[in-house]
Amino acid sequence: MPLVFEDVSYTRDQFRLTANGIFEEGVHLVSGKVGSGKSTLAFIASGLVRPGTGVVHGNQIRKSLLSMQFPEYHTTGITLQEEVRSWGLDPEEILESTRLSGRGEQDVSVLSRGELKRLHLGCVLSCDADLLVLDEPFSALDCREKRVICRRIAERNHGIVIICTHEQTWLPPVDFIWEMKNGSLVSCGRVPGAITRWSLAPRHIRELVEQGLVPRNISPEAVMEATCRTRE
Amino acid sequence: MIELSSVRHGILNIPSLLILPGSTVIIGPNGSGKTTLLKIIAGITAPQRGTIIIDGKSPALVNTGWLNEYPDRNLLFGTVSDEIASPLRFRHDPCPEVREQVNIVAQESGISHLLGRRTRDLSGGEKVLVSLATAMVTSPLVLVLDESDSHLDQGSTDTLTRLIRSSKALYIIWCTQDMEAAAGADRVILLEKGVVTRHGNPGEVFAELSGDCLYPLSWRLSNAPCL
Repeated sequence: MPLVFEDVSYTRDQFRLTANGIFEEGVHLVSGKVGSGKSTLAFIASGLVRPGTGVVHGNQIRKSLLSMQFPEYHTTGITLQEEVRSWGLDPEEILESTRLSGRGEQDVSVLSRGELKRLHLGCVLSCDADLLVLDEPFSALDCREKRVICRRIAERNHGIVIICTHEQTWLPPVDFIWEMKNGSLVSCGRVPGAITRWSLAPRHIRELVEQGLVPRNISPEAVMEATCRTRE
Repeated sequence: MIELSSVRHGILNIPSLLILPGSTVIIGPNGSGKTTLLKIIAGITAPQRGTIIIDGKSPALVNTGWLNEYPDRNLLFGTVSDEIASPLRFRHDPCPEVREQVNIVAQESGISHLLGRRTRDLSGGEKVLVSLATAMVTSPLVLVLDESDSHLDQGSTDTLTRLIRSSKALYIIWCTQDMEAAAGADRVILLEKGVVTRHGNPGEVFAELSGDCLYPLSWRLSNAPCL
């Protein structure tokens, strides 16, 4: 069920995005600097923005879901319970899994930014979607929550997951790496080979690659394993 | 010195806390009260109970620069130059001095090229840098930043960190989820469920967190047990 970008371009004021590529089933990481077009790509991938030219198609994708960077953009319920129900999910189950049990009657606005993001991602990752696009899923989360999100992404065993992020430390194992460079989508290829072509890799991964030690993946565990290879 | 005594506000419960001049980073899980504490220090929120004194004054009487976590919530004006000039204009500084000061702070922040731009056209990282320049334009005694790095890439975070460190503010206090940045501060405060559970230099605080994900990854890789 690949998602295909064919000669896609999109222009807004001075900004121009171009994209060509095939997103196969698996987990994709899209990295890029602030303002490079990651969010625009996420909107186009999930069908919320139509490209100016070219086409995006995924014939076997029945359901796609976009998680926007700012969780408050998704909020429709007044209480936590209502918010969870608006996703068609069971409040008790989601509140327990996001460690917000007993707060179902509270107003969503009393949550801290990180707690709201936690609730939002708890809902998103509990929905069944063939295409899941996560725009900066780790921003505003503490390291414990980032680990939870990484684990839940790794547990998904079907469909396409596209993660647009600048997170440097807490990354899940991925299958493919892409970069947004000045508005253009560039494929680094399949992991682990892609790691050597990843110009925007986090500093600690770049240093390992420079030593000739390519981690098997980009998660902290894989990086630690590669680091230990240097000591053997 | 910043002195908090018997502070109770929402989840916060701080019997006593002294913050010395220099850079202090507040870390902790989501919902632990970091933003609430920063707002009290910045004088945006008065504590329900207890007192906070900054060099002998109430926070409301101290010149403080504040950066909201949400980049868009920092910006009020249409152009970058008007935005940076606004704190000076609000206090009725003469126009020539305002222009001069805006140019100086923009140059120091490396954003002179943005002065003529519309704020709505800026990228997220540019918005943060403009907001920081605006917060610093009055040479505040206290600079407070609420997870301003959470939406930045590594390059923008490095620039932000460099600017923060070059600030002339006597007290620089910010919270972050980037433990690499926290490791470079003078002091770290760990807040959990509204309570200060650790306070000291980064080495002291993180030494007790070696089994926790809060421990900086670069330190962990340097000391990898490799068993």
